[in-house]
Amino acid sequence: MDNEQPKTSVTDEDRTKIRYLTPEMCKIHVGTHGALHVTVLNDRIYGGVYAAYAFPVEHAAEYISLMRSTGSGGPDEEVGLIRHLEVFPPEQVALVRQALKRRYFIHTILRIHDIRWDHGLVAMDVETDKGRVKFLMRWQQDRAVDYGRDGKVLLDVDENRYLIPDVEELPASERNAFTRIVFW
Amino acid sequence: MPEAKSVLLNVDVPAELADLARAEGVRVETAWMIAATDLNLAGSYEPVYLVAEGERLVTIARPKAPGEKAVRETVPRGEILEIRTRQGVGGGFLEVRVADMYVEMLAYSNARADIFHKVATKLKDWLAGQTPFIGPEDDLDPRRCPACGMPLQFKGDVCQKCMKGGAVFRRVITFMRPYAGKAILMMLLVLVTVALALVPQQLIRLLTNVVLAPEQAGNRPLPFGEASVWLMWLVLALFTQVLLSAGVGILTGRLSSVVGTQITYDMRNRVFTHLTRMGVDYYDRYNVGQLMTRVASDTEQMKSFVNQLTGGFLAQIITLVTVGIVLFGLNWQLAAITLVPAPLVFLSVMIFWKRIYPRYHRVWDANSKLSGVLNTILSGIRVVKAFGQEPREQARFDTSSVKVRDSFRAVEFSVSTFNPLVGVLFQVGGMLAWFVGGREVLQHKPGGLNLGDLLAFLGYLGMFYAPLGQLTQLTNWLTGFLTASQRIFEVLDTNPQIVQVDNATAMPNKGSGVTFENVVFGYNRHEPVLKGISFEIKPGEHIGIVGKSGSGKTTLINLMARFYEVDEGRILVDSVDIRDLQLDELRRSVGIVLQEPFLFRGTIYANITYGRKDATTDEVLAAAKAANAHEFIIRHPLGYDTYIGERGAGLSGGERQRISIARALLYNPDILVLDEATSNVDTESEQLIQQALLRITRGRTTLAIAHRLSTLRNSDRIIVMDGGKIVEMGSHEELLALKGLYHRLVKIQTELTADPAFRMAAEMSAGEKKKEE
Ligand SMILES: Nc1ncnc2c1ncn2[C@@H]1O[C@H](COP(=O)(O)OP(=O)(O)OP(=O)(O)O)[C@@H](O)[C@H]1O
Ligand SMILES: [Mg+2]
Repeated sequence: MDNEQPKTSVTDEDRTKIRYLTPEMCKIHVGTHGALHVTVLNDRIYGGVYAAYAFPVEHAAEYISLMRSTGSGGPDEEVGLIRHLEVFPPEQVALVRQALKRRYFIHTILRIHDIRWDHGLVAMDVETDKGRVKFLMRWQQDRAVDYGRDGKVLLDVDENRYLIPDVEELPASERNAFTRIVFW
Repeated sequence: MPEAKSVLLNVDVPAELADLARAEGVRVETAWMIAATDLNLAGSYEPVYLVAEGERLVTIARPKAPGEKAVRETVPRGEILEIRTRQGVGGGFLEVRVADMYVEMLAYSNARADIFHKVATKLKDWLAGQTPFIGPEDDLDPRRCPACGMPLQFKGDVCQKCMKGGAVFRRVITFMRPYAGKAILMMLLVLVTVALALVPQQLIRLLTNVVLAPEQAGNRPLPFGEASVWLMWLVLALFTQVLLSAGVGILTGRLSSVVGTQITYDMRNRVFTHLTRMGVDYYDRYNVGQLMTRVASDTEQMKSFVNQLTGGFLAQIITLVTVGIVLFGLNWQLAAITLVPAPLVFLSVMIFWKRIYPRYHRVWDANSKLSGVLNTILSGIRVVKAFGQEPREQARFDTSSVKVRDSFRAVEFSVSTFNPLVGVLFQVGGMLAWFVGGREVLQHKPGGLNLGDLLAFLGYLGMFYAPLGQLTQLTNWLTGFLTASQRIFEVLDTNPQIVQVDNATAMPNKGSGVTFENVVFGYNRHEPVLKGISFEIKPGEHIGIVGKSGSGKTTLINLMARFYEVDEGRILVDSVDIRDLQLDELRRSVGIVLQEPFLFRGTIYANITYGRKDATTDEVLAAAKAANAHEFIIRHPLGYDTYIGERGAGLSGGERQRISIARALLYNPDILVLDEATSNVDTESEQLIQQALLRITRGRTTLAIAHRLSTLRNSDRIIVMDGGKIVEMGSHEELLALKGLYHRLVKIQTELTADPAFRMAAEMSAGEKKKEE
């Protein structure tokens, strides 16, 4: 295409650019009804904001997108993207972390107490960051999918999520028991 | 409030919490709905209750510290503009819109998602001023097993927990049932083989004790002539044994080959047939490369099973047992001594299973990943080359290849260490027999062991240890076989989502009206893509569908062809629910030109006639001409017999589309569906095709999706979709008059075409070949 600009409004043009949020230009705070708000300098206050990872696997501490629903079924819009979360004041960092924790309900598996295959179902008894959990998973390849290089995300019959960040890091006996059943 | 209560939507709040809530002004007794969630808004496990009162929504939970309140959130009905659920990752939220923002009322894990979808519908009615009815029928969930309550993968799925299959071995045996006769014959032959194998040692015993060294056995020495005759008979007996063994060997080999290859063939077909019955959703989830491994090589393992029965482990177990009996018969003390290392052997086999067996899975995993990578790279080779990424793909391939090499190496390293070490153990038993037995022969005790016995014993001992020595190879094979069978059964056990009901009806009349009734559908369980679609198409009507990319247009088509099953609502063709129609009848009456035209390797002719092999040449020509494909086909030196490559390689994008239009036209369906069928065709050809379509599809129900709105001008009605909903519906003129989304889309497109620079851009992006001067 050539250099001419389409006849669109300024906001339309903005919509095609990433807006990086920095502590200088915005403030993350709790507003009415306990909802997360972002006040952007020279712009406005955005309410009902939620946080999402852009690269949950590769850059979990960076590139966090703040999104909000515009209402009436339309697509969600991005308020802005935080490149480095740590540069924000601690209380704001905490708010974003909380928002992330809310949105990503994932158990991180620390230890596998027991894993059994039983007619197309895998019964697991695991220690997670949210306590000890027993769950049933369908023995199908799409129920245990790759996460990064050596990790796996397991989806149980309720579609709850369990993350093994690195299968190789499990103790040898647990790893063998696991890869014996989830061998893909 | 109704008398009968729902378990899920009229939850009992613990008395203590109810008291606390009452102190804060929330009366749970009078609430019309109470639902329990498992998460709090901080994303941790905690029981929280949603209490829906007449005029407000409240969430309550046990206070975590003294001084805290039981009431967590309160929103009066008057402030709520909208209620919805929003899917997070691994869970979701019930949200209310207050002023211009959505506020999270509560969070739930996916285990509760179904409940809160229902809660949201009830709340929407409440918000609209109706009184929602809540009763026991709200507890029914078609996506849960009625017997055990486990979530099913889709409505009507067979609950895996309640339906127990058999152990892998038993199931393989069931597959062998049709060959029972041949199998029994094979077993008998195996017995004969084993029996024959026992003969030579007995001959050696006779040779030693009667002919060569009779004195030590207490026998009379024979004169030379008589001994020679004995010798001749013994040799003859040995020769007969060898001949018989060879004969039985030939027979068993052939028989096992017949049965083995046939079972493999059956299994391969079975897996393939099952794969073709699988819905499209299955292929969204599975890696095609891995499926290829399953069909091609995993089924080969069935053959090895039969081979093992005849030549392998079954024969060996029988040998082991019979030879063991013979050994004990010859001299039980000596036999007992040789068994001293046996426990160690068992121990090592156990170690093998625990340590080495799991590594086989890695080998398989690495292997199938390699074929997956290969499949992706080769099918995307154009993109690879376009972006000059050959080195990177080489590296990617190399990584996978290295994994295969290393995993194999790891297994073979341990196996090749393991086998000789176990061999040493066995040898020790043999040595003990040599020493103890040899001493006994030297002692010449009457009734004791003589030389012939010892030689025969040592011979049998060799036979006894041979199968034991192969035990590790047996486990080798067994692991390979078990993993392969498990993988095969994993495919066979997956129920196809789309199945024909038993009493499926034929298409009643060929009127071909289509009705969508409140259709809700999502590719993923908790994320609806279509959110309540209702419309009716009268027979013979031409319908256009427009909407932004990702608004669910193709999804609509997918549902109509029953590639996927609706989650809620229903789709009627000729007033019959498509789930009650015979599948082939439905597919016969719906002809689709897919958004991504797929052509098979083969001639153009074969591709056009793909859906109707019986088409006459004249019909093929007519269809091709109507699709504006005839001329460019004729230009090829080989015309309709031109061979095209994988996915239609050798043709331009527009040419491929035109061939797939011809294919659909020839199919002569009652309902013609065109999903962006002419998006890659230049405007002039498109107009020609449009005219032809208009002529051919007169009186035929037609659904056409297009981004280029000019394509749809001639439609009777146009459906405008946005975000999984129908936002507008009507004729071109009516929609323009509405001044809504359609009006906006038309305006943007005409603006674009009015601006010369953008006209060019738009046409280029539409794959236009003709450019304006
Ligand atoms: N197989 C699938 N699995 C999961 N999600 C899917 C699948 N196919 C489509 N989707 C999602 O469903 C939504 C609707 O897709 P659909 O293909 O119906 O859009 P469309 O209206 O045809 O768009 P386009 O105009 O670009 O063809 C999209 O958000 C898409 O990401
Ligand atoms: Mg589409």
